Amino acid sequence: MIKVLSHLLLRRCLQAVLVALLVSTVSFFLMHSLSGDLAFRIAAGRYGYDMVTAAAAEAVRVELGLDRPLLQGLILWWQQLLQFDLGDSYLSSAPVIEEIREQFGHTLQLALSALVLSVVIALPIGLIAGLNPHGWLDRVSLTLSIILRAFPPFLLGILLILLLSSKLGITNAANASHEHGGLFLPALTLALSLAAVSSRVARDAMVEVRRSAYFNFARTKGLSDLLALLRHGIRNAAVPVIAYLGVQLVFLMEGVIIIESLFAWPGIGHALAHAVFGRDIPMIQGTAIVMGLLFVLCNTLVDIACMLADPRQRYLASRRADA
Amino acid sequence: MFLCPIHRQPLSIAVAMLSLALLIAMPLMAATDSTKTSLSIVGPWEVSTLEPSRAGYLFLRMQVAEALISTDLEGKPSPGLAERWQVSADGLDWRFFLRPQARFHDGSPVTAASVVMNLQRALSQPGVLSMAPVTGIIAAAPGEVSITLSKPYAMLPMLLAHSSAIILAPAAYNDKGHVRKMLGSGPYQLVRQTLPQQLELALSPHWQGKQPAIKQIHYLSASRPETRALIAESHQADLVFGFDPASMQRLRNNPKVVVKEADLARTITLKLNSGHRFLNNAETRQALSLAINRAGIAKGILRTPELAADQLLPPGIAQWHQTGAGFPKLHTDLERAKALLSAQGWQPGPDGILQRNGERFALKLNAFPDRPELPIIATALQEQFRKLGIEIKVIITNSSEIPLGHRTGTLEMGLVPRNFALVPDPFVALNQDFKTGGGDWGAMQWQNSQVPALLEKIASDTDPDAQARYRHDIILTLQQELPVIPISWYRLPVAVHPQLKGVKVDPLEQSYYISDMYWSSK
Amino acid sequence: MSAWWQQLPLARRSGAVLLVLILVAALLAPSLAPDAVSQDLERVLLAPSLEQPLGTDHLGRNMLARLTHALQLSFSLALLSVISAAIIGISLGLLAAWRGGVIEAVLTSIADAVMTLPVLLVVLLFSAFAQGEFWSLYIGLSFALWVEYFRVSRATIKATLVSAPVESARMLGFGNFYLLRRHLLPELAPVVGTLMLFGISTAILALAALGFVGVGLRPPTPELGVMMIELFPYYEEAPWLIASPVVTLGLIMLALALLGGRKEMP
Repeated sequence: MIKVLSHLLLRRCLQAVLVALLVSTVSFFLMHSLSGDLAFRIAAGRYGYDMVTAAAAEAVRVELGLDRPLLQGLILWWQQLLQFDLGDSYLSSAPVIEEIREQFGHTLQLALSALVLSVVIALPIGLIAGLNPHGWLDRVSLTLSIILRAFPPFLLGILLILLLSSKLGITNAANASHEHGGLFLPALTLALSLAAVSSRVARDAMVEVRRSAYFNFARTKGLSDLLALLRHGIRNAAVPVIAYLGVQLVFLMEGVIIIESLFAWPGIGHALAHAVFGRDIPMIQGTAIVMGLLFVLCNTLVDIACMLADPRQRYLASRRADA
Repeated sequence: MFLCPIHRQPLSIAVAMLSLALLIAMPLMAATDSTKTSLSIVGPWEVSTLEPSRAGYLFLRMQVAEALISTDLEGKPSPGLAERWQVSADGLDWRFFLRPQARFHDGSPVTAASVVMNLQRALSQPGVLSMAPVTGIIAAAPGEVSITLSKPYAMLPMLLAHSSAIILAPAAYNDKGHVRKMLGSGPYQLVRQTLPQQLELALSPHWQGKQPAIKQIHYLSASRPETRALIAESHQADLVFGFDPASMQRLRNNPKVVVKEADLARTITLKLNSGHRFLNNAETRQALSLAINRAGIAKGILRTPELAADQLLPPGIAQWHQTGAGFPKLHTDLERAKALLSAQGWQPGPDGILQRNGERFALKLNAFPDRPELPIIATALQEQFRKLGIEIKVIITNSSEIPLGHRTGTLEMGLVPRNFALVPDPFVALNQDFKTGGGDWGAMQWQNSQVPALLEKIASDTDPDAQARYRHDIILTLQQELPVIPISWYRLPVAVHPQLKGVKVDPLEQSYYISDMYWSSK
Repeated sequence: MSAWWQQLPLARRSGAVLLVLILVAALLAPSLAPDAVSQDLERVLLAPSLEQPLGTDHLGRNMLARLTHALQLSFSLALLSVISAAIIGISLGLLAAWRGGVIEAVLTSIADAVMTLPVLLVVLLFSAFAQGEFWSLYIGLSFALWVEYFRVSRATIKATLVSAPVESARMLGFGNFYLLRRHLLPELAPVVGTLMLFGISTAILALAALGFVGVGLRPPTPELGVMMIELFPYYEEAPWLIASPVVTLGLIMLALALLGGRKEMP
């Protein structure tokens, strides 16, 4: 067991290093393949189009040492990464790591809210649907689930903005101000996407529970459906749903890139799109590396959780580790 | 460094619950009355840094920071941090006398030394101050700053009014010279910030001037115009700036919102490479101008017919806008345009594109997406020039490609939303654009000596009538020569809460005049 | 044929029908409404009519023409990237499985690293190379997608290489090419087919998402995501305009999802 686990961790660590290398190399080439003049571009990003002039561009060139030879630049780039130094943002001049720290808090807040909201939505629907498989609620929720799964989160987001913001005037579409409840729409969008699947997981789990001996025993004891559900159903059906949340974390990471941009939620995904738009290469590198590493981390956690939870998985993992 | 995480809420289930609760509790946040002292503002501007050269404009407009000189609604210089100033007879030595009781937000007095430090810093950074032939900035006496020039420059006060020349307390800077805290000298001080989206301001205890009715300000940046429109419609903010044409249409029809508009000194122009072999004579450039359907663009894209530009500057910029009956305005006449081109030897080819000596009349047009209407206008121009027989390839790229293309001489056409109010007097930007050799955002390889000479005369001649005549001649020459072709003007729409009074919209975007606003119960 | 069709689950059948309908529309309609570029600023935001079945957009352009051009663009870019990704992935998978050793180790590590990154993140990174250009999106998509084919083909080929029929074919002295054609590719085909279906849906979606956020293709290109962001401001004045790209993208996703069968992850 320990051997398998350490093997897994080693493998994931290697993966993390590779991800960082890959992203940073792509970023470096990105920087040196930019069409046009880098100093001009950065000046445009910094000072806005009203103030981009040859003079401003020259000032940027000197400040950032952009006239360095390629090889020297590459070595410097690597050195910085080795020292866990992601550099300063071209646009704001603040250290990238500080900006990311700030944004990451927002992303985490959004992701967790979405996760919680998805459970709140999915669990009751799944349980009730599972109580009466092939009943009308089951069918409706299945159809909804298929449609929701087909709809990518950003499409769902647009639809929600159109429906809620304009018609009901509930909440404004893109707003980072927490006082205004700006968190709700992006979280709901992600949560619905998540719930589309987890409600089915919950439903299947509930069907299993219903077939099980203890549930039937509870029924024969004379407990009503509802009571039997409350006593035995929820807990047992919740286990696979909770386990499934780990898998969903991975999906969430991808979802935030677009959802944050759509709702202008000041998280790491929004920052990445912003950086791409403004050609802020240190920010692109920083956010992409952090997201990549998070992905590795999520995958590792899911692996470990599965291994601990399920002996079959443990066996499979050990085989995978040997392969 | 200058990122101050303020509300880092505990990351827990509570967050989701809280947001749900807020959602339910939110509608109609506050009923207003005359005792209200707070103001919430929403605008498109993101504050990614506190650096004056990049974000100074917002702190100047919000009256957090002051420059030596301020401007009034007509763009004339008025006292800022300097209560008065004088210039020596030879025009080389300027003296600025600071407001004696002025204090920074950390309580320290505004001294001549701190002003000198800020101005010297502004001089070394990208900005406008370096346009003046400055030879020295010194603290001549307590409360007295002297700026010496190598030759007279009448526009110096205008440069000093620019947001990159705001004066901050010495404690605002860290040891690396970066701005660490926003410590200005205006009526409002920065209390909290969540960069790049939120600012919270409050009345500064060190402000000695007239006490404003508005005491707390909350600024929120929202990047999408549709969103800002929704915020305005639902009264979630009191002052909302900037809308897209579609939302404007809706807001105008909404009785619950008051929309104020001011002409901005900003014009969308088509910058032409007048040295290009196709474009090197005024007749061809006139033909291009005649082919542009400005009314269609203003009506169809900007949704405001009055914005079609018949000259370089809009009516709101009265000094420069020409209203004389005999003044020839830009208009559309496709037949005349075709005739002008055929007189140049251009004949339609088999594909409808004009040809001359076996060369097709094909040009590249650079535009950039920072303002959403620019790519749309570029495609509209593409279509309108196609009707004239000119093939345009639209390149949507980074804004910096235009000054870069200007420098390398490779630019053919560029769509430019030129801001003539970079400093409050349009003269400075016009001088930048049309002086001999042209400017990054203005004329390119344009052979003309008249306009540069007139510009020099304005700078030296102080007689107002003569100046008005020069301005007329400049605009007229530009109208005939068309080194840049004006297409449309801009307006700054502001949605105002019906009970908020004293709102002034500054066409030069120097100030929001928040300290003059107040709430009324009606 | 009909028996095979009857055998398919209802969901798959309806997915196939839907997809065929969308494709037919994408292929045929441009000949009915060929002009996706011409503007008419006097006739903007028109409601659907006989002459303009989907109305006109904010520049008076024919929405039907723009929508179908966008469909063609999305499908061709998606198909192109998926096919490239499949060819590259399978070739490298073959190479790794056949040669093993260092080559396999290196390729597998790279694939693992790419696999770790979300598709959208990879495409976003590459799109920064040349913003708004077709080719940077194409390379980004291919680079993000090849790993799946690599992993699947490597695993399948490794398993097939040691299977009894291949062993005996080898003993009989058949060449590598024969083995590849006769034994390996048939094993791979169904898996790769499913993967490609998912790949196409991923690619179309990524394209639209990037266009929508403003870092993909640029106006005036008719592209689904670009159209959505262009038409979004008019949702109240002309709701049918924003509806058409949104509904179209939704239908494509639905058709591909139904056709591809149950996906494990959202």
